[in-house]
Amino acid sequence: MLELILVVSEPSSTADRLCDLLCNDGMPSRHATPTMVLTDWQLEDGVPDLLLVSATLGMDIVRRVTRRIMQMTIRPPTVVVFADDEVVDLTPHVTAGLDYVVPPFLPRQLVSRLLACHFRQAMCRTAEEIQTTADLLKYERELQIGREIQAGFLPEELPARAGWQLTARFRPAREVSGDFYDAFELLGGARIGVVIADVCDKGVGAALYMALIRSLLRHTAICMDTVTGSADNIEPERDADATLLLRSVLATNDYLTTNHLRQGYFATLFFGIVDPSTGSMVYINCGHNPPVLRRPGGDYTLLGPTGPALSLVPNSVFAIGRAQFEPGDLLFAYTDGVPEAKDSAGRFFTQEVMFSLIAGQVGAADDLLDLIERRLRAHVGSAEQADDITMVALRRQPNRVTGRRRSSTAPSAPAKDASVSTTRSPSPGRRRAKGAPGTG
Amino acid sequence: MSFTATLSHNGRTALITLEGELDALTAPMFRDEVERAAEASDVNQLVLDMTKLAYLSSAGLRGLVFARQKMPDEVQIVLVRPNDAVEQSIRLVGFHQSVVISRQVPD
Repeated sequence: MLELILVVSEPSSTADRLCDLLCNDGMPSRHATPTMVLTDWQLEDGVPDLLLVSATLGMDIVRRVTRRIMQMTIRPPTVVVFADDEVVDLTPHVTAGLDYVVPPFLPRQLVSRLLACHFRQAMCRTAEEIQTTADLLKYERELQIGREIQAGFLPEELPARAGWQLTARFRPAREVSGDFYDAFELLGGARIGVVIADVCDKGVGAALYMALIRSLLRHTAICMDTVTGSADNIEPERDADATLLLRSVLATNDYLTTNHLRQGYFATLFFGIVDPSTGSMVYINCGHNPPVLRRPGGDYTLLGPTGPALSLVPNSVFAIGRAQFEPGDLLFAYTDGVPEAKDSAGRFFTQEVMFSLIAGQVGAADDLLDLIERRLRAHVGSAEQADDITMVALRRQPNRVTGRRRSSTAPSAPAKDASVSTTRSPSPGRRRAKGAPGTG
Repeated sequence: MSFTATLSHNGRTALITLEGELDALTAPMFRDEVERAAEASDVNQLVLDMTKLAYLSSAGLRGLVFARQKMPDEVQIVLVRPNDAVEQSIRLVGFHQSVVISRQVPD
């Protein structure tokens, strides 16, 4: 509302007349020189809603006076320029877009005119705010779409096997990146496939590309499955899992480089196929951060790249890596977002810290991921999380029977706490297996 | 983060000198220079001087991949003096097979 008008000009009869007119019409108004406003104005002097400034003042002075008043209030004042005799003085102000009044100044007409200017300027500000809000909403909506795409392609449940723990943590950044993880049964249930990947970009584009890769890989792996019956009494052909691995990665890379090379996306990926009855794993690492295979004593090996990133180069050559899970061994796979998480001073979490946490904690898979998550949260603090944080842990549980070694080919006794992957976390902003509604 | 990418031509070589951090925010600047380099006819070599490149994120890597795809296949891409972390990122992802890594700017 219009509660105080400030007439800003050097002392003049026009300024006095304006004040009188307005006061007589019930509109409180005062006069002040520019110097008074710029040097001496206090809150107790009043915060004007409207500045009636003389056209003889230079535009720079008008701007500075306006800014000075704005420092004291949330809403910017309405600004109107008045001319006394020399109407031509108005020209630069009017050209700059200011409202104006010209003599003769008449009772009631002047007040009406100033009120009209006041409402017009208020409406313009509101329109700008609405546009800004609309733009923000549009941006938020795109983020939301990206997140929905991403959430739709993460597994609802992770496969469970007695004697094994499989668990994952996924904390999306505000702006969606292209991380994903996956786990599924293969060869009639005789094998478990585990995937972790990182599409190198952000936004809806990366999320779509991730969805494509996830689908291609899953589809080709399951389609190339040579066993269609039940898993009982069926011995998969020797090295069927290595063949399956290679064929599905090659097929995916071929598809991407044939159809999407020009877009410049690529993805790093680790795909392992585990035989839960023996603990053996075959894997392909396409340019991804080497996962850590940790032994119960705390020593570990890194499963380095066996080929380039996917969709980087047509006709890439990929090699097969092999590893063996003994009882108590744990595989930890992660994306960039873990070691590169920044604190508010811009310092990285670092691989070294991550490795020392892995080597120092030799218990359950969930406990390790909880520990790393806690330390990450402490490190990042109030800084904004720039990248998705994705971690997968697969652990072969230690043998329960003391004093007796079991051969690694005998099926391990089902552990009492055959706990696996399907923990549903209600915490906002974090997902284990999909089940809790994803939040941004 | 401060970042500059400066393009110059020397005969048939296009040279882009990189300084600072190449990440998601600064990658568009790098891409613009690559586009400009690609416009010049008769370029047979693209040299990226990384002596002063402090950091390369995965978005920055994507910028390099973009450079490789933008340039015709016959154009050789040379990376000069990437620091250890940058070179490691490039090798990890397998991109080193598509470029030449060198200790000095070729003539």
